[in-house]
Amino acid sequence: MHTDARTLEDGRLLEADLCIVGAGAAGISIAREWIGTNTRVLLLEGGGFDYDARMQDLYRGKNVGQPYYPLQAARLHQFGGTTGHWAGWCATFDAIDFEPRPWVPHSGWPIARATLDPFYARAHRVVEIGPYEYEAAQWQRRNASLVPFPLDPRVLWTKMWQFSPPTRFGTRYRGEIVGARNVHLFTYANVCEVETNESASAVTGLRIRTLDGKQLRARARHYVLACSTIQNARLLLASNARATAGVGNAHDLVGRYFMEHFEMPSGQLVLTGDHAASTAMYEFVWGKTKARGEIATSAAMQRRQRMLNATVSLIPAVPGEAPKSTFQSITPERLEARRRAERGERVEPSPSDAPQARADTAQGPGRVFDLLTRQEQAPNPASRVTLDRERDALGMPRATLDWQLTPLDRHSFRLFYELLGREVGRSGVGRVRMNDWVASHDESWPPSLGGGWHHMGTTRMHADPKQGVVDANCRVHGVANLSIAGASVYPTAGCANPTLTLVALSLRLSDHLKTAIA
Amino acid sequence: MDRRQFLSISAASAAIAITGATRAYGSASMPHALGQPDLLVALGPDAVREIGRAYRALVPSDNDRATLDAALRAELRAAHSSNEDLVRADFAAGRTIVVRDWILSRTEARQCALFSLLSA
Repeated sequence: MHTDARTLEDGRLLEADLCIVGAGAAGISIAREWIGTNTRVLLLEGGGFDYDARMQDLYRGKNVGQPYYPLQAARLHQFGGTTGHWAGWCATFDAIDFEPRPWVPHSGWPIARATLDPFYARAHRVVEIGPYEYEAAQWQRRNASLVPFPLDPRVLWTKMWQFSPPTRFGTRYRGEIVGARNVHLFTYANVCEVETNESASAVTGLRIRTLDGKQLRARARHYVLACSTIQNARLLLASNARATAGVGNAHDLVGRYFMEHFEMPSGQLVLTGDHAASTAMYEFVWGKTKARGEIATSAAMQRRQRMLNATVSLIPAVPGEAPKSTFQSITPERLEARRRAERGERVEPSPSDAPQARADTAQGPGRVFDLLTRQEQAPNPASRVTLDRERDALGMPRATLDWQLTPLDRHSFRLFYELLGREVGRSGVGRVRMNDWVASHDESWPPSLGGGWHHMGTTRMHADPKQGVVDANCRVHGVANLSIAGASVYPTAGCANPTLTLVALSLRLSDHLKTAIA
Repeated sequence: MDRRQFLSISAASAAIAITGATRAYGSASMPHALGQPDLLVALGPDAVREIGRAYRALVPSDNDRATLDAALRAELRAAHSSNEDLVRADFAAGRTIVVRDWILSRTEARQCALFSLLSA
């Protein structure tokens, strides 16, 4: 079922057993799990089915820390959420990403990678990618041309990525959701406050507003916030009528530990010797490549060097064209143009809109690849989302992002490149040249500093309520009937794009709720 | 060497037929082979020359043809292996040096330096 909340009478109460706030990858993944059950599900989406600039403006906020992408451009506020413009890159987190690492403060998940394996396999079907196989050798058996570099796996290894079509949740799953008898989707229903009982130990309802001034309420037995990393924190912090610091924020953790993946050009690889022609494993052609590898740091080397997890993509170098970070190459204007083009609107093409143009035909020794590093950011309590004094059109305080980095983030880049340079030299693959800023020993960041729009960590998971906002089952500590879905629960960021993992975690949460609220 | 130079490695430079010569390293009858790093094939002579000059500036004690020649011969004799094996062994053992942001084996950095002196 679907209702446009703007058509409802003012003051209407919406009731269900389970209420999911946000219809992006996490919210839709959970809602689909309940279709056909006896549970009545409310799915509240702030935007509509299509892009709406007025709804998008509700995501506008301030960046006061390290330079960051405009917040209203980094996420889509509509049914399907940011899958409306994601690139479809999927990979699992590594086992070490879940472990406490003494050299990475605040690291460690209360669950192990093995816990997520069955959910990763299910998530594969949701995002429409291939078999749940991430060993390079498995892909080489499927395609003999996918030959990994002969790297010492104790140092570096070939980590596989798989590519979703990409699945646009807003179009792919709209029919299923709207057609479900027990799932009621309300669009243009912006939740502005989580209301609790006197002790803030249980949610009693949600206050909803529409841009035309209507106020609605939702009431359910259990609630799931799935509004994205920044908006989950914003909503909890703004819900301060009873809990003055915000719901779930008894220990001043909500909004903290905001993390990104650094996605930055960091050097070049020039191939030498016999391996010059064996690069199919690492190549990517938009819309065609189903799986490919990146060169990643081994867990053993992360432990030995006390460094963060990282991988590197090989991108054929184009003479005269300086490589750019993800933020530099996909500006908000280009992102908007891509979105319009996908909707069938006529848009002037940009040369770099065609990633396959980057696939060169040069072969043999001397072939050059730009190296785009994808590195995790260390958890940092000072990197945080807070509320601004300015309010949006619905009266909610806007979000302020203070993106802050640590010396470990910076130091790990150089360590990674030293390992990479040594290992590709030892193996006869080639030689590495670091960009100036990587080679330098200072703490500064270059103008190419940027991420991949991978927002993580503002409602982190930890067994101890003093160290995390949610527990191992994604339930908010101290609040009996409130859970959180999405990358905001990640205690650490790994180096894999977050979507596959957040879908897997959402499926796990859904299974847990089926037991908990049945 | 800037990025443009780096990428402008021409077919002519790649065609420099030095690979075979450098693998016959221990031969005293081929003194100039010491100054012919395998990197020439991948990077070309201009880039290798630039690296060599930068190395000599970075390690002033190696800014001399005779010193470089003697050091390279000594390394090869001690290693009892080919140049390629020696370079790989350098990388494996961490005997590397960063020259103009390139991560190089110490042996090949010296070869680049000798090349820059021989081909100046």
